[in-house]
Amino acid sequence: MNNLKLFKRQTVNELSTFYSFLIGFLIAIFIGSIILLIQDKSPIDTFSLMLRLSVGSINSLSASLNKAIPLILAGLGISIINSVKLWNIGAEGQIFLGAIAVNFIYINTQINSPSIHIFVLLVAGFVGGSLCILIPAITKVVFGVNEIITTLLTNYIVFGVTIFLINGPWKDPKSLNFPAAAYVGEEVFLPTIIGKLSFGFLICILFTILAHYLKNKSVFGFEMRIAGGSAMTAVYAGINAKQKAFIAMLIGGGFAGLAGAIELLSQTHRVSTGISQGFGYTAIIVAAITGMRPLGIFLVGSLFGALSIGGSVIQTIGVSAYIADIIQASTLFGALIIQFFFTYQIKKVEND
Amino acid sequence: MKQYILEAKNISKTFGNVKALEDVNFYLRKGKIHGLLGENGAGKSSLMNILSGIYQPEKGSIFINDVKQKNLDPESASELGIGMVHQEFRLIESFSIEDNLTLSKSNIYQNNFKEAYEKYSEIFSLSVKPEKTISQLSVGEKQKIEIMKLIFNDSKIMLLDEPTAVLTPQETDQLRISLGTLSEEDEKTIVLISHKLKEIREFTEKVFVMKNGKMVAEELSTKDVTDDNLIELMMGNIQKSIIDKSNTPGDTKLSVKSLEYVDKVNNFKILDNINLEIKAGEIIGIAGVSGNGQVELANIISGIEVDYSGKILINNKDVSRRGVRSRKKLNLSYIPENRLGVGLAPGVSVLDNSIVRDYFKTRLGPHLSRSKTENYLESLINKFSIKAPNSKAEISTLSGGNMQKLLMGRELISNPEVIIASQPTRGLDVNAVEAIHNLLVEQRDKGSAILMISEDLDELFKLSNRIHVMFEGKIVKSLNIDDADINNVGLAMAGIIE
Repeated sequence: MNNLKLFKRQTVNELSTFYSFLIGFLIAIFIGSIILLIQDKSPIDTFSLMLRLSVGSINSLSASLNKAIPLILAGLGISIINSVKLWNIGAEGQIFLGAIAVNFIYINTQINSPSIHIFVLLVAGFVGGSLCILIPAITKVVFGVNEIITTLLTNYIVFGVTIFLINGPWKDPKSLNFPAAAYVGEEVFLPTIIGKLSFGFLICILFTILAHYLKNKSVFGFEMRIAGGSAMTAVYAGINAKQKAFIAMLIGGGFAGLAGAIELLSQTHRVSTGISQGFGYTAIIVAAITGMRPLGIFLVGSLFGALSIGGSVIQTIGVSAYIADIIQASTLFGALIIQFFFTYQIKKVEND
Repeated sequence: MKQYILEAKNISKTFGNVKALEDVNFYLRKGKIHGLLGENGAGKSSLMNILSGIYQPEKGSIFINDVKQKNLDPESASELGIGMVHQEFRLIESFSIEDNLTLSKSNIYQNNFKEAYEKYSEIFSLSVKPEKTISQLSVGEKQKIEIMKLIFNDSKIMLLDEPTAVLTPQETDQLRISLGTLSEEDEKTIVLISHKLKEIREFTEKVFVMKNGKMVAEELSTKDVTDDNLIELMMGNIQKSIIDKSNTPGDTKLSVKSLEYVDKVNNFKILDNINLEIKAGEIIGIAGVSGNGQVELANIISGIEVDYSGKILINNKDVSRRGVRSRKKLNLSYIPENRLGVGLAPGVSVLDNSIVRDYFKTRLGPHLSRSKTENYLESLINKFSIKAPNSKAEISTLSGGNMQKLLMGRELISNPEVIIASQPTRGLDVNAVEAIHNLLVEQRDKGSAILMISEDLDELFKLSNRIHVMFEGKIVKSLNIDDADINNVGLAMAGIIE
């Protein structure tokens, strides 16, 4: 009797994640095309329109990159936490709490220099994100509670808090009953660099380099890998695995919180439910596709930013914006499947 | 002629290239308790797994009540009344005792559980209510439930794989009485696997001995056979060392003073008054069957386990309250028995695993330079001739021998003053064993003080200057290598001390 069995490959091509992303993306475009054809729309027309309106001009390109900022930052946070083999599903909540922290500090402080003021608010966003993941981090480290569940649940709690604040204490009387907090003053708006491209994009580049260094070049990154690989090896090596997990979670939460701060200071300018449109969840896809590599997250995050801008503009020709979501999700599935074949080999074996 | 309830003839089984069983014969008489003796890896568990249908033999036949059994699988074995208690419990921790006992479809006390439970809890002198969940029970109680499960499943042949390994002496005594009752009153046929001669002698009527996958003695009458006989059968001939041991040891590098360690959960003394002294340039061997406190001893000396009483001195410096890292800074190296999982982190690259010991020293860190770490790994690979696909490959893609060489190399490259090597060659092929032995001797000649924990007597006799035997948490015998022989070490390992 012949049987198919899986064997782990001895060596995996270093660029395998990149190749599987590319192939996964092609598969996603293919799936997207089929769906468009079913709707009697031309895939070529639709995709070329998407391309033109997302990267075709300085304005559209900067809109795409602005969209990419929260995806990249939250994705980086997820990848840092994954160094200790933990999953952060709570980036969405961390983005919101980052924005809430910014507004809280904005309301309660008086700083005259705008640049210092903006800096303080960005720090507040980072701290807000860390605070959001603090309880999951404590329950993980002290009681061993599954962080996937707790980080997911904090999303709902933070969303509830947001709804409460914008309908209650922070509700802007000038908003014509639309639930939102008051706008922050123009003096704390993040400046733009080129076109509409926010200064946040520079922060994003800086934090990508930081995350890359932290994960791949620092002693802390090494300690996180060992702690994630085997708790016993960590003890043996004198590494405090729980401490590493705790710090990694706070840093990762902070990255997402910073995304919320940038979103508030450069896009929405006020706390509302529009602070995030599921960025925290899309960031999970971005991080997973790249195998948790910061530089990959930067590239794929940028692409996904362009995709959602492209998705929103093609509504004008009667195509649903969900086509962008479908492409994003199919890319992940495609990439994961291809990655599987890079990691494993299928062989026929004689059964005894 | 219904002389035997079970007969296994010419059973052979190979795993990969390893012959686990070779033409093994095994006979069981109804209502008797049989002992099965042998070192670790002799093939006892493989044979039991074949009888209970978990493995299929390549060759040989099994007769139950004179009926030849073809394609024995766990289900048919259980229907034929063969049940096994494995070394690791197979109870559902979150279920109650009653649920666990009545879980199987072959259970016979579905309707009169209460009476049956009362009867057998008396035989096992077990005083817990059947509503209690398994996780609330002590190890000894769980063991009793495991054996009771066989009775409830109507097993007539009960295979017990080292049931006493987890029991206290009092519990062991109790188990002896319970098993005696079962064999006499219920006519249960029982097989007891054990390392301990004393138990084999007290529990059983007939004894079988295995060595290296072969049955070297069949159906000896326990009354008539001597301990020396059994030890010789079990361990065979052992060559004394060919390694030069004439070097004179230097200063004391490691001393362990009146070490005690208690397992707080089960209130069980795992280490009891351990005293050791190791000088520069000598290898001290710790002999003993695993599970007699060796892992805990190594963990305490290396600083992993901190909750103990007693003193550890490295180079006459008291490090009893110091952590892993400060002991490493005093140049202590630990090669743990659990290669992948403790010594090496699975899922992590060869490169990362190669720097686990020295990464916090300034020559590699604090900024972890890629070129420095690559050079470091390169020097390990060259010096210890390790075969690895590339530095980024995941550690478990290496062979066992290469993993161990990487681990040893990492721990030895900085010329440590004290080395603890736990089961350094377990599971390795002949060439790798030779390479590891040479490394240890070379290190000894460079002046390291080495503590080698091993179950392999060949290895202990070959390398050690002195052998301590551990049994139930105590050092029960200490011998210079010239005075040690297979009998006095073997008997002490089996718990027999004159």
